[in-house]
Amino acid sequence: MRSSSAGPNLVTQESPSAYQRYHISTRLAPDLEKWPSRFKVHVRKTGLAKLLVKELIHYRGRLAPVLSRPCMYGVFSGPIGGFAPREHLCVGCLRCTTEFPDFVRVEHNAERRKLGDSYFTFNYMDAISYEASTGLIPVKGAGYRGKFGGEGWDGMWTDMSEIVRPTRDGIHGREFISTVVDIGYTPNFLLFDENDKPYGAEPHSFSIPLPILFDASPNHSAEKLAGIFALAADQIGSLAVLPFDEVLKLADFGESVAPVLLPEDGNRIHELDFNPRLIEMQGWDQPLFDALGERFPESIVALRTGFETEETLLQYFDRGVRVFHLLADLHGRSMDGRFVLDLIRTAHKRFVDAGVRQEVTLIGSGGIIAAEHVAKAVLCGLDAVALDTPLLVALQAKFNGDAMERGNSSFSFPDSLSEEWGVQRLKNLAASWRDQLLEVLGAMGLREVRRLRGEMGRAMFMRTLEAEAFADIEGYSGGSP
Amino acid sequence: MTETFASPGASLRTFTGEQLIVAKHVANLHNGFAFWPRAEEGPPALGDYRWTEDLILATWLMAETGRPPQNGLEYKVGASGGGFDLLDFKFLPQDQWLPVGVEIDLSIPLNKRGEGVEIEIPIPIYGGGMSYGSVSEQVMQSRARAAQKWGTFTSTGEGGYPLSLVPYKDNIITQVATGMFGVREETIQYAPIVEFKYAQGAKPGLGGHLLGDKATTTVAAMRESVPWVSLFSPFPFHSVYSVEDHRKHVDWIRTTNPRALVSVKVSTPTDVDMVAVGSYFAGANIVHLDGSYGGTGAAPEIAKKNIAMPIEFAIPRVHKYLESENVRDQVTLMASGGVRTAYDIAKAIALGVDGCVLGTAELVAIGCTRCSNCERGRGCPFGLTTTDPLLSQLMPVDWGAERLSNLYEAYAFQLRDILRKLGLKSIRALRGRRDLLKYIG
Repeated sequence: MRSSSAGPNLVTQESPSAYQRYHISTRLAPDLEKWPSRFKVHVRKTGLAKLLVKELIHYRGRLAPVLSRPCMYGVFSGPIGGFAPREHLCVGCLRCTTEFPDFVRVEHNAERRKLGDSYFTFNYMDAISYEASTGLIPVKGAGYRGKFGGEGWDGMWTDMSEIVRPTRDGIHGREFISTVVDIGYTPNFLLFDENDKPYGAEPHSFSIPLPILFDASPNHSAEKLAGIFALAADQIGSLAVLPFDEVLKLADFGESVAPVLLPEDGNRIHELDFNPRLIEMQGWDQPLFDALGERFPESIVALRTGFETEETLLQYFDRGVRVFHLLADLHGRSMDGRFVLDLIRTAHKRFVDAGVRQEVTLIGSGGIIAAEHVAKAVLCGLDAVALDTPLLVALQAKFNGDAMERGNSSFSFPDSLSEEWGVQRLKNLAASWRDQLLEVLGAMGLREVRRLRGEMGRAMFMRTLEAEAFADIEGYSGGSP
Repeated sequence: MTETFASPGASLRTFTGEQLIVAKHVANLHNGFAFWPRAEEGPPALGDYRWTEDLILATWLMAETGRPPQNGLEYKVGASGGGFDLLDFKFLPQDQWLPVGVEIDLSIPLNKRGEGVEIEIPIPIYGGGMSYGSVSEQVMQSRARAAQKWGTFTSTGEGGYPLSLVPYKDNIITQVATGMFGVREETIQYAPIVEFKYAQGAKPGLGGHLLGDKATTTVAAMRESVPWVSLFSPFPFHSVYSVEDHRKHVDWIRTTNPRALVSVKVSTPTDVDMVAVGSYFAGANIVHLDGSYGGTGAAPEIAKKNIAMPIEFAIPRVHKYLESENVRDQVTLMASGGVRTAYDIAKAIALGVDGCVLGTAELVAIGCTRCSNCERGRGCPFGLTTTDPLLSQLMPVDWGAERLSNLYEAYAFQLRDILRKLGLKSIRALRGRRDLLKYIG
């Protein structure tokens, strides 16, 4: 069994000098397949020809001004310039059409806007493409361009700390912000006998260096993808949650893979000849839960179930479950139509009200498709997220129709997808999202992501803010703050 | 369209190739800025939810004519589906409007503390900080000239104080930001107002960003940094951990320049109301709230939408809290970050601020298409957010100053019109009048 190449941020007593600040190694991994260009550039050739003739005469043959083009991004830099625009280079600045409105036209490429599906829209795909290619944080000028707010993630803002804060400078600073999270069970307190020996429940958990796991839906985890997920998770010190059969082939990554067992896999657990850090049980099965606990006492056994079972979460807790992997559909909805953000808050609060939140770990999947969703999901109560469709998009998956149901979604991948490229893309994505999480944590002045969990005082919701600001304005019917 | 070549009749031999290139593109651009607002359809790829195609074209037209458009362009609201875009005014019936000839006062005081220099600006707007490096020196000069003409202010931003701005120093706010770039005793002494930038709306909780390609040798010299190396300003001030520390900061400025008013620019966290009150009690004359939807420079995308609240929500919160602390009339409250139009300004004032600070609107007036490529490579292809020596010539200083002045003129015209239809003779009387607004969502 291989050990993880990037473990949590711990200084061991044996080798204090071995401490290394957690770091994900990024490297440029450009797209394998070109997506449709962002813009279509139309140049009326007669108009351009006339202009060139006119300018040649006006400038008496001086070529410098004649050949000076209204584009600094190279759209007209081909051998025949504007007669064959290189529209894949267009960034939509519109300088060309501003200068030559009568024969240059730039428009959004409708084909590009068809990428993704009704939830995973092209804007999200663009962001992930950049993040997976570079490992960098997307930075742009000119402020925010989108809608004011909206439902779901868009109806929520995170806080920042103006002056008083223990962190400095976010990702660029010297002070450390930890993204380590614990997966497993932590008792609220320890008990000691008269000999000062602990007794009763003991902590049973492991740590991963970032609150991001990779979750492979069974339908999309061809062998090659499972290997990519496992290797990438191994290299960043996280976990790839994979179908049982795939895990059996990936024993080398035992530290970094977590098998998902379906009820029918119950009589095959003996085939698993190593102790995974995490085992997920798809749906509740008491005999299987007991059998897994007995056979793999070192492993954490999690219940993988829909958010809609929130009413029974405490019952599962009473039966011994301490780690829950809660699933919304790929559009972030539960069976009854509620959005994942509200589902997370409800689940978190249920355990808080029962006084056992510290004892459980909540992992969530579904509808978490952008870096900001990670921060918001943790803020609403998750310990960690397990990414699904973003991983596929990072690997340049194309959506074959709307991808909402895990079992009924279809994606196609580049033919030339290689393990090396795929692993780097996932590492880049993880690095970019972790850095963005650090930006959010740094802005709030939080030194570790564990403190972000359920920190609702640092969440702002549009409905509340709008009611507070506009409640006394005529026509407002959104209720009181 | 008008002629698109360099000065007709001039001897071409007297011009260098570079001059001809610049002249050609400047003329073409100016024609384009005049053409598109009058065209039946705008450029198909122009605009977004916040700054719609109509808002951009209307701003171009106002910057050319000094009047709001009369050709059907929507110049009052965007299409964001929230905030200012869902508010409107409850105008009086037409027979109760103030007559056209009635004088309407748009001035606001910037020092209400009852001590120190009294400064009043004739319009309730001034220019926000845009640093040398994030924008060209030409843009800074244009803004300074427009501010001087109107008797208002513009801010240096955090990139230092170019010498070319010194002739306009009576209308320039020196910004002291966390990077402390170019902050020296003399630049503090130049200033009638010194602005502490604790945070900025586009990237709350993060420092300023100037990516390496734009950190030219001149920019780096101004900032005392290394050329072509990205600059990420720290956040927050490394010498300020508390309101008490902030008070010491204010004392530092007042010791260096006793006549300067102090402005404190903050972002909009959940406790923005308490931050504002703390700033006041630490000695601020102006509290400047910078909402999360503005910004003119490079910023992480995650910060723009997700961190801190929009200005529309922060204003009433701060205004009411200052009132409850009985200090509202001792402090000037300014807002920025998503203020796009004269109507936004008036709505912000009705929600509770005294005036507004402009950034993006000014850049749009001088040719910004909001393409978001400010940080890419050499910077803005229109010569605005760039320090490239060639590109920055695309925005001539005189032309820019005239455009900005015209924009102010158009805004002042509309603000007077709004007040007239509300039966108010002073912009000060509009402050906090939420009863004059209606929600149209």
